Amino acid sequence: MSKPHVVIIGAGFTGVAIAHDLALRGCEVTVIERGDICNGTSGRTHGLLHSGGRYAVKDKESAIECIEENKILRRIVPQVIEPNGGLFIALDDSDLSYAEQFIAGCEECGIPLEELTPQQALKIEPNLNPRLLSAFLIPDGTFDPLRLALAFAATAKHNGARFRTYAEVEGLLLDGQGNVTGVRILDRTTNERLELHAEVVVNATGAWAGKITAMAGLDAPVRPTPGIMVAYDQRLIQRAVNRLNEPGDGDIVLPQRRMVVVGTTSFDAENVDYIPVVEEQVKLMLERGSQLIPAIRNAQPRGIYMASRPLVGSGSGRSMARTFKCFDHKETHNIEGLVTITGGKATTMRMMAEKTADVVCAKLGISTPCTTRDIPLLSYRQYYTVPNQEKHYA
Amino acid sequence: MNNQPAPQRLLSWFNPLGRNPGSWAFILNRLTGLGLTMYLFLHLMVLGRLAQGPEAYEEFLALTKSPLIKLGELLVIGAVIYHGLNGLRVVLTSFGLGVRRQVQMFYLSVLLALVGTAIFAFRMFAG
Amino acid sequence: MPEQWTVTLRIYRQKTNEPSRYDTFTLEVNPDEYILDAIERVWAFHDRSLCFRHACHHSTCGACGMRVNGVEKLTCITTIRSVARPNAVLTIEPLRNFPIISDLVVDMGELYRKMEAVEARAVLPITEAEIEKPPHQWKTEDSQYVRLSDCLECGLCISACPVAATSQPYLGPAPLAAAQDHRLDRRPDLLTLIDSEHGVWRCHSAFECTAVCPSFVDPGRRIMDLRKQTISAKIRHFFGK
Repeated sequence: MSKPHVVIIGAGFTGVAIAHDLALRGCEVTVIERGDICNGTSGRTHGLLHSGGRYAVKDKESAIECIEENKILRRIVPQVIEPNGGLFIALDDSDLSYAEQFIAGCEECGIPLEELTPQQALKIEPNLNPRLLSAFLIPDGTFDPLRLALAFAATAKHNGARFRTYAEVEGLLLDGQGNVTGVRILDRTTNERLELHAEVVVNATGAWAGKITAMAGLDAPVRPTPGIMVAYDQRLIQRAVNRLNEPGDGDIVLPQRRMVVVGTTSFDAENVDYIPVVEEQVKLMLERGSQLIPAIRNAQPRGIYMASRPLVGSGSGRSMARTFKCFDHKETHNIEGLVTITGGKATTMRMMAEKTADVVCAKLGISTPCTTRDIPLLSYRQYYTVPNQEKHYA
Repeated sequence: MNNQPAPQRLLSWFNPLGRNPGSWAFILNRLTGLGLTMYLFLHLMVLGRLAQGPEAYEEFLALTKSPLIKLGELLVIGAVIYHGLNGLRVVLTSFGLGVRRQVQMFYLSVLLALVGTAIFAFRMFAG
Repeated sequence: MPEQWTVTLRIYRQKTNEPSRYDTFTLEVNPDEYILDAIERVWAFHDRSLCFRHACHHSTCGACGMRVNGVEKLTCITTIRSVARPNAVLTIEPLRNFPIISDLVVDMGELYRKMEAVEARAVLPITEAEIEKPPHQWKTEDSQYVRLSDCLECGLCISACPVAATSQPYLGPAPLAAAQDHRLDRRPDLLTLIDSEHGVWRCHSAFECTAVCPSFVDPGRRIMDLRKQTISAKIRHFFGK
């Protein structure tokens, strides 16, 4: 019996994690990506391995997902994570009054937290704003965005998944009733066009999800919400530093290699293929970032970039939940063969993949359970060293 | 494993565009190395003339009085000094000595080679 | 109002089974933009068939290494101002010494195989990072602790290395630097690989790797130190220790 073929569109965090999951559950998997791994939102993520603390007050569902996945990723892919922890620091009375809800929220969501005096906080992070009033240590971390995705992709490839990068989806193959039976792609390295047939097509294109569903004549409730990040050329801290308050602009500073990265903002965008940098937002990052870490003012920007979150549902910007949604278009629009996954965040990539793979497997009648939470991933380098397996498709 | 054909890759040894002093040291080292190897063959050929009798050798010695050959000899002297000194630079850095001063050591090698060549030139032409 | 320059990007193009060529694109740019932004705009608004690799846009991932006017650059942190003047032509080419997959994208497999062969360490936890220098000394560039986990594995050093140009099996700067970080006294098993024909002695001291490294890993110095380590290891070996 031949394995069912699943085409995954998009090799961002979600796409590679689904490929890993489905390859383990016995599917024939092909990942189609118009650029290279992580060239869109995923590559340009802040790199914060959330403990959930950021969402513990207003968005408990996301917070619980975060702390669970945080623990799993630390276990299965330690090669790409700096597990240094994170600090939430209070700088004014408004922050202090938020502390009570924060402690309660973290407790409720199962996020371990330790209160530090300003002296203790400054001892472990001497570059914090010395006027801080209070600090909480939580199990945040930082990850290397590309390598995180490559580790999933490498393991998927090892288990038989095939990656076609620089291949753009030009259209979906439809059966006459509007059901999706595959994809039409253009290989940019050879300028060849070809058709790939598949039992299920998974649309894992994040902020671009609407473009793919439109090819089947459907809408996707995705709102691309870009934000800016500014990397400065000094590694001033070892831990993620958050402002102890409701999520706002420029309230997270992360160490990444020999830099600190300040982010972010939240606004709406039309064309997500290219989002220009807004000068005012760069200034805002410096202003907000230096409230947390004053020495940022002595550093130079090294990289400035925009990333487009794929938020789902209604509302706008910060008020929207940061959880994810998986749509089987059979249920939503009576269209067979297409599943769309979007929303969420890097920290919950594995869980998003698990839920999506559950939906796909249910459609295909596969009963193998998900095993990704316990399987350590291969080295990210093996994505480049393991060859694609040649396969034939009907 | 490269799309470029082999001769082009070999030529890239000698392309100094956009490169740093360390590459100049490398390029000069390769050029002087190749030059000295060729000189060695030339030298052996000349010695070989001894076997053909004193006349042939004398004839050749007369040729060496020409300024062009003298210029060639100066090049050999410069190449020997540079190649030797740069060799010392490579040895020193390989023992972890003066790695941060490798550029200055390169300049020093070139300078000493030039000075040495100048002294020989003075002795050859003016002396 | 930010400054506006006009620059022309002359981009190397290569598709499978087609001859290579250069395409030119003239753009209005802010000189403080990064070269990668300009290339991404070429892709977004002028030519969707352009293949280039990029991910993090802030020198964390090492995907966007290319040659700009012949010199290896991480294009996401290289401002247009730092390499050009108004109305300049910028030649953008793929890295040397790697097989080209398409346009600006090269096959990095060989480098990654070598990094695996020396078991290069990727991320160092804070406890280890503090061994050499405490964090408060990391403020200025000179005194920052050089973590090898800063190696982006971007391939710039391989592209700039004159020895790698003609010797494909040569381990190359990044893998040798990774081996140096292990220390041969702690990892004697690496000695055979390092002390081989294609190992540490192959380097010809051009120090181009150090010059182009966007992450201050300083492979040149590390290769020299690795030679020292190799000699010590062999002396120890000779006396049967």
